[in-house]
Amino acid sequence: MFRPTQSLLTGSGKYRHVRLTTKDVGRGFYKGNRTGSMGRHTKYGTYQIDWNKVRTYVVPDLSGCQLTPYVSAQITKPESSYKGIPNGPRDPYLYIENWKDKNQVD
Amino acid sequence: MANPSSLWHTAGRVAQSTGRSLATPSLTSQSTARFSTSAHLCKRKRRATNRDNNPNRGVSSIYRSGPREPLSMSDIPLPRPREFTPKVEVDKDHGLWGFFPQPGTCLMTPEETEKYGRSWTAEELRRKGWEDLHKLWWQCCRERNMLSTSIKELKRSKLGFGQSELEQRDLTVQATMRNIKAVLTERYYTWEDAQAVAATDPEIDLQAVDGSAYNPGSYVDEFEANEDAWAGKKDTLPDAPEFDDPAKEETKAEKKLQS
Repeated sequence: MFRPTQSLLTGSGKYRHVRLTTKDVGRGFYKGNRTGSMGRHTKYGTYQIDWNKVRTYVVPDLSGCQLTPYVSAQITKPESSYKGIPNGPRDPYLYIENWKDKNQVD
Repeated sequence: MANPSSLWHTAGRVAQSTGRSLATPSLTSQSTARFSTSAHLCKRKRRATNRDNNPNRGVSSIYRSGPREPLSMSDIPLPRPREFTPKVEVDKDHGLWGFFPQPGTCLMTPEETEKYGRSWTAEELRRKGWEDLHKLWWQCCRERNMLSTSIKELKRSKLGFGQSELEQRDLTVQATMRNIKAVLTERYYTWEDAQAVAATDPEIDLQAVDGSAYNPGSYVDEFEANEDAWAGKKDTLPDAPEFDDPAKEETKAEKKLQS
């Protein structure tokens, strides 16, 4: 993966404040445009799309979905229901207990 | 009319009429004036000057001054275009309305912008299943798209303040999304640890292919022996968090195990 030179962009150097252009870097430097590649260039100058690199987004069916990004401010934040458990929600024994209690199948 | 040429004429006539009754010494000056050989129109005349001698000064199409002199068609009214604005059919259910607060509205009012709650806490999200978290994530994406469009629209139409409030709202959505990711990561790590625990649990057969991974019967003797201790341990456990769809989580776990 191509990445810009980190030492140029970080620290107290010039390029923290000045836009990095192609004239500031060596030949073959790939500045990037904050998006990954979707394939590769061929020797004939064309571009071969690699469909394994092309992003796919799995969007669920949101019709009738009543979830909102916000919760009403009048609802008090719930207390942790994991008090007394060593690792809290990260406790694997609690996970197994839940599984035995509610699933048991697979 | 104070035209110089007409003044010249009147002055000439006055001189002519008075000259006859006057004495002769003034005759020489009269004759030079009356017998001038230069043509009347070619005579240099003072014209009404302005500051740059521009005859078209003040004539501007920008200020719609019109010509200085009335033209032949000045009395004829210009044809006016028909007042016609085409009626555009807009689909109220179009998906692109998702970038706006409501179908047909451009921006939220300041009251509506301020009217939102808090972000979801991790504790609330732990009780949600995969499907709900997935839907909530994309609802957050839609909300952020709407807020971003609103900020751009605010700048484009120069409607004034409101960007800071929209950004605050965006931060709240981002906090929800951050919590979703944290909860899913936590759930995955817990599942990884639970695999190791399940391998040591005599009641669980991780190699089972027919879906009978949980065999409490094989452990029943020891279970009865330790029933009191087990029940006592269960009492110490607080209420387990409820997953909406624990089966899905476990299915994933078992599938990974078998592969």
